[in-house]
This record gives sequence, structure tokens and C-alpha cells, in this order.
Amino acid sequence: MVMSAAAYLPAPKLGEWLKELSVRHLVLAPQARGDAVVFAPYAEGGEIVLDRDATMPPKQAVFPATEELLRFRRVKDPEDPGRVDVELSASQPAPKTVVFGARPCGTRGFLAYDRVYRSPKTTDPYYAARRDATLFVTVACTAPGNSCFCHWVGSGPDDASGSDLLLTPVTGGFVVLAVSGRGDELLGSPLLEPAGDRTAEAEKVLAAVRAALPPAPDISGARDGLTAVFDDMGFWDEVSAKCVSCGACTYLCPTCYCFNITDEGDGLAGRRLRTWDNCMSFQFTLEASGHNPRPTKAHRLRNRVGHKFSYYPALHEGAVACCGCGRCVRGCPVSVDIREIVLAAIVRAARAREETAHD
Amino acid sequence: MPILAGKELRIVGFLCNWCSYGGADTAGVGRFSQPTDLRIIRVPCSGRIDPLFIVKTLLYGADGVLVSGCHPRDCHYGQGNFYARRRLEALKRFLPIIGVEPGRFEYTWVSASEGQRWQQVVQGFTEQVHALGPSPASAVFGACREIPDEKGGPRVAV
Amino acid sequence: MSPFETLKEKIREALPGLDCVIGWRQGFDPLHATPFFMRAPEDVEKLVWSPLCVHNLSTYLPSFRGKKVGIVLKGCDSRGVIELLQEKLVERENLVLFGLPCSGVADLTKLGRAAGDLDRVSAVAWDEAGFTLATPRGEVRVARRDALADKCLSCQFPNALEADHLPGDPLPPATGPDLGDEELAALEAMAPADLMARWAAEMSRCIRCYACRNACPMCVCRDHCIAQSRDPHWLSQEDSPREKLMFQLIHTMHLAGRCVECGECQRACPVDIPILALRRKMNRVVRELFDYQAGLDSQAVPPLFTFQVEEANIKERKW
Repeated sequence: MVMSAAAYLPAPKLGEWLKELSVRHLVLAPQARGDAVVFAPYAEGGEIVLDRDATMPPKQAVFPATEELLRFRRVKDPEDPGRVDVELSASQPAPKTVVFGARPCGTRGFLAYDRVYRSPKTTDPYYAARRDATLFVTVACTAPGNSCFCHWVGSGPDDASGSDLLLTPVTGGFVVLAVSGRGDELLGSPLLEPAGDRTAEAEKVLAAVRAALPPAPDISGARDGLTAVFDDMGFWDEVSAKCVSCGACTYLCPTCYCFNITDEGDGLAGRRLRTWDNCMSFQFTLEASGHNPRPTKAHRLRNRVGHKFSYYPALHEGAVACCGCGRCVRGCPVSVDIREIVLAAIVRAARAREETAHD
Repeated sequence: MPILAGKELRIVGFLCNWCSYGGADTAGVGRFSQPTDLRIIRVPCSGRIDPLFIVKTLLYGADGVLVSGCHPRDCHYGQGNFYARRRLEALKRFLPIIGVEPGRFEYTWVSASEGQRWQQVVQGFTEQVHALGPSPASAVFGACREIPDEKGGPRVAV
Repeated sequence: MSPFETLKEKIREALPGLDCVIGWRQGFDPLHATPFFMRAPEDVEKLVWSPLCVHNLSTYLPSFRGKKVGIVLKGCDSRGVIELLQEKLVERENLVLFGLPCSGVADLTKLGRAAGDLDRVSAVAWDEAGFTLATPRGEVRVARRDALADKCLSCQFPNALEADHLPGDPLPPATGPDLGDEELAALEAMAPADLMARWAAEMSRCIRCYACRNACPMCVCRDHCIAQSRDPHWLSQEDSPREKLMFQLIHTMHLAGRCVECGECQRACPVDIPILALRRKMNRVVRELFDYQAGLDSQAVPPLFTFQVEEANIKERKW
């Protein structure tokens, strides 16, 4: 981690700082909505929730649930009424945004998007515009929970990858570290003080959190293991038996990036929308012929787990498309646990290998 | 010129083909003057009306919905309006929980010969909806989608 | 032998003749039980029965149609089975119903309010008066009213209404407050425009995951829901409160006279939108109009499948 500068933000000045950031940015910060915590635009006096991880990930900043790609309108030629032209108008530009208060796992989710939507091979202009316009002010995690497993996937409670600023809670406030050039620019605020020896306190806080994490099992065998059990439908039927095939895991996931494109409109005018889609849905792979290559929830859950821990790493130099935030585990109405499935697949594949060896 | 010209609200009527649509026709043939807020959608039978038609209409910009079918025992298909009555009454009692005032939805029975009665129903219901004013749905959920005019130009329908 | 041990014995005996028996086992942390499909007699050891067995497992039954399966039922869950029987979506002869008297299950959302961060609860215990949670801030005591699902406080059916095995003494109906009624009364006291605005605000955090629908035992269309059909196009893909509320109303209308009020829709919601109130309201209407509650009698004719020429409780307005 490159730490170019450190500052200190006293906790009572947090609101003022966010207000300052709001002058030039749309600030999305975790706030309570009913019993849930969502990233919502910050308005003065808004109460920021940092003592538990947000229910929703901050992904809407770079990947909104609905994004208007274009508007269309069919216009009749007055000279030749049989002729209809389609008039197109492009969507709005991406607003300058600061995502405040995500935990490192939530922020890191964007890295999985980058490899797909902003790679040297292909760039998605809508995504790239939002990504370029968005800064991430991440708060290091000091309270990992029962469903957390960031350290299984090569991350940790103070992982700053993907962030521009990393805040670490210390007595009375936060130590603020710039971890990118764009983050540096945010450190000019008069509300920030020099960090001094609070940096050492921050290091201590983070070391304690890292030490408190239970040991992570080795999941390096997941990539091959999941490939090996791909055709073992008995396995997938068993692990997906309780799945109700809703999309909660997918829509709560900071790394799930699949979308659908539809034209929505009445009569002669409408909008082309890109919306979140999810591979747990029957319609996700439903073909126009009526054939569905993933007809059961077992096929679909296999895809979700396999994609994150096997197919995606195979395409992207071993990077796992899971940030270990645990939202899919917490948010699942029936507690389907992706950790359990990955571990079971590794064991199952190993057993199958042994059996083949004995034959 | 209608008194309410320029201040019209949007009222949608679902009318069964056999009785109420005929009743509305009779009213027209009889030249009974009526408020012009109502737009009629003809359906085969009041039993064909999915309560969700009404919910969707109210949520997407209508200020009132009127359903009218054959009088009980007069259904062209025998029983359609009996089933409809149960559904529509349940819906009517349910709607207030989403913030739709009870007066924005009514159902009634008008036969094909009751032109005069149709006039009274439309008059009464239109007045009732006007007393309530525009539905809160547009203010709460935003104006409904753009509806292009005949030449394809946009016209925001509020 | 305790009723639970007796039940386990019955399940072991029945298992050889069944595809599986659906129950619960311990989930990923102390607060979560998780649905469990027992296939071998040794699986039965992992079966748990506690106030954390919150799920209505009857949701799974239609997917086993044609197979012989067993299922463990709370009183409220049995209403789901009865409704499925009434709609001929499961066959009685293919089911073995294992009931246990239930004195109420936890509402994890309510427990979360007390615990702060539900994901950091390291232990949980319960007694007749409430729950005790071990949290990083120390022990937190939660009174029964603030811990149990609202439906349980005033539960009228604590024992499975249809069961092949029902060990233990039946429990009397609960006599607690009807919090569902209180919630409805509070909503109905609001001005219409404010109430509609409240729904819009609540729905704005909906993520359209359809957990409410998929957890619902009566949502039997499964992969063929009209919400996802392009033709007819009831809903667009747009993530707006209007579309999302419209879906809730589709769900409510399609449940009219069928909803057993198990509360799975609201429990399943990952962003805790209080959507059960809509179903509750419809259930109240159905009860007052037709004196009918779903899931009590598998032979009953559901109220919207029939009519009276002279309706006792409907007086159309005379225009």
C-alpha cells in the first residue's frame, strides 16, 4: 500500500466534511432507511451509520440499478407519412460522486467490474464514465461479523485496494490516508488536521482486527474443484435444495455485474434501460426458442458460485470475483452459505480424484 | 362548453360490452350532456376485469376509475358480474391502505337501456373525483411517461 | 422422551419410505437456523427445533410434487400446506406431516434492533420472557414482545392444523397484542397523500430481488410470474418506487383469499421493507366480507372462486 499522506478527521467534524465534499460531489453515504442501511445521497444533518456494515453495497455509484442508455422517439416524415425516422438522444453524463463509508470489501467489489468493463480489450463507456467520476472514501473495518470472510479471498479489514482515501477509526475520530493521487487532492480540506502519532494508533487498531479474525481455510483449490464438480448435478441439487431462487444474493453482491437491456416505452417513444439482472432468475438464460440451458435452481446456483470462484479467476489471472463481504449469506432468506458450498466443492472434487486414482 | 373545460381530470371507465357500454351509447344517442373527463375502455364482461387493471390505472396517473357492468342476474355470461362484485368490493376496501382515497374508485351496474342513469353515474362520479382533486400518485411517483402526440412529438402527460 | 425426541424417532422411522424430510438445522451462526433436507436416518441428529426455526418450509412442497416427502411444521406453516392441498398443488397421500406445538419464533429484524449489529451476535439463549444475546457490547436482553415475530404474539394456531404426527401437549392460542392490527391502524390514520408517499419511500430501497415472492408458499407460478413477463408487460425493468409498489400489489391481489399470513414475504426481504401490512389488510377485508381465512380447511371453496347472488356483506352503492 502506498501511503502518500496522512491526516486526522475529528469525529464531530465528519458531517461538516461531508457537507464540504457535497459542494462539488454527489456524496453517497450509509444511512438508515427503516431497518436497513443503504448508500443514499448525503444531506446536511443526515445520520451516517458506520457501526455495522451497510445492508446494500455501494455498487449503485458505478453500476446503477437502472441506467438510461438512450431515449428514442419515432418521428413521421410530414412529406412522406409512410416514412418513420428514429430520433435518438444520449443519456445524461455521470455525476461527480464520492462514495463515503463503505468498508474495504464493499469498495473492492469495483475491482471485479474494472477487469470486465474497463479492460484494455473492451471499455463500457457508461461504466467507465461513472467509475472515473467516482471517488471512494473507505472506512477500515473494525468489526468483522459472523458472515464475513474477506480474508479468505485475499483481502482484509484494512485492504485499501480500489479506495482513494482510507479512514481508520481511532480515539475521537479517523486517521485519513490518501491511497491514490485523486485521494491526495481531497486532503486539502481545512477541516483535516495533521495525523501526528495517531498513525501509530491506527496501525495498532488494524493489527488488532487482523489478529482477531478466525483462521481462513485454503480455498486455492476452488478454481479446479468447481470445474471438476461442474457435471456433478447430484452435488448441485444437494447444495441448492434450500435456495428459493430469488435474487437477493446477487443484488446485494458488490461484485455481481450482470445486466439486462430493455426498451421501455409506450407507443412511439421510450427509453433504453440497462438494469441489474441476476443469474438466479429463470429468465436470465431463457432463450427465445423457449429452451433454457439453466432450467433448475441447481444449474443457476452452480453458475453463481462457479463464476465467482472458478470461471472468472480463469479469465482474469486468478482474481476471485468475490470480496468476502458476506452480504449474500446475511441477506439470503434461507441462509445459503457460499463459503460452505465452495469448501464442499473442494472436498467433493478431491474425493472424486481419489476414487478415480483407485479405479 | 363544459363547465370543467381545461380543468379536466383523468377518469378511466371499464365498461362491459353488453350492458354499460350500450348504456353509455344510449346516453350519447339521447344527447344527454355529460362531463368529458371519462375515457372508456370496453371489456367483454365486468368479470374480465382483473383488479390489477384498476390498481395499475390508479398508480400510473388516473385520478379516478369507474367500473360498470350488467346488473346482477343480467350478466350476458350468466355469472361474470357476480364474481366481479366480490373482487371489486375487496379491492375497494383495500385501496385506502396504499393512499388511494375510497372515492377514486367505484363500481356500479348500468344496463344498455339506462342512458339517463348512465348520465347520472358519470355526473356523480366525476363530481366525486373533482371533489378529491388530482390523485396524489403523480406527485408521489412523478408524472407518467412521455406520451407522444400524433406527430410523434413529446408531450408530457401529467 | 421429549416431544422433539419423539418426533425425531418418527422421522427416522418414516425416512426409508420418503424422498426426504424437510426440517431445520443450525445455520452459519448462532442466530440462524436453515432449511434442511434429511435423506438418511443419520441426518436426523442434525435436526433442530427452536424459536430460530423461522422459515415456512411448505414453500418447498410444490417442487416435490409426485414424490413422497415429509415436512416439519409449526402451526402457521401447516396453513400453507392446507392451502396447497386445497389448490391441489400437493397430494395429501404423498405427504407425511410432522407437527410440533410452537410457542413462537424470533423476528431477526427485531432482534437486530436490540443487538445493533446482528452479524456480531456470538451466542443466543431464550426463555419464556425473552431472548438474551451476547454482543460485543455485552449481554443484551430482549423482551418477548420485542423479539418474537408479530404473528406469534397473537397466534391463533400454535399447533399444526393438519398433521400425521403431533407429539407433545397442544398449546393454547397466544393472548398477546395484535401488533399487525396496530400497524394497520397507524397507517390508516395517515392522510392519503402522506400514506402513498410513505409507501414510495419504503419501496425506494427495494432491490427487486423477488425474495418476497419466492419465499411465499402461495406464490406457485415460480418461474412464470407475470412480473417478469414481457408480454403482457405488467412491469418495466425500471427500478422505480412505482414499479416496485405495483409488484407488491400484484402479489397482494394474487394472494387475496389465499394468503395464510405466515409473514415470509416480509421476513425474506433483505432490506426489511414492511410489506406484510398490505397482505394483512387484504386478509382483513376478505375476513370481513366473506368470513373466511385461508389455510384452515383444505375442502373449503375459496371466496373469490364462488359468489352469492345476494351477498350478505356487500351493499353496492346505489348511484
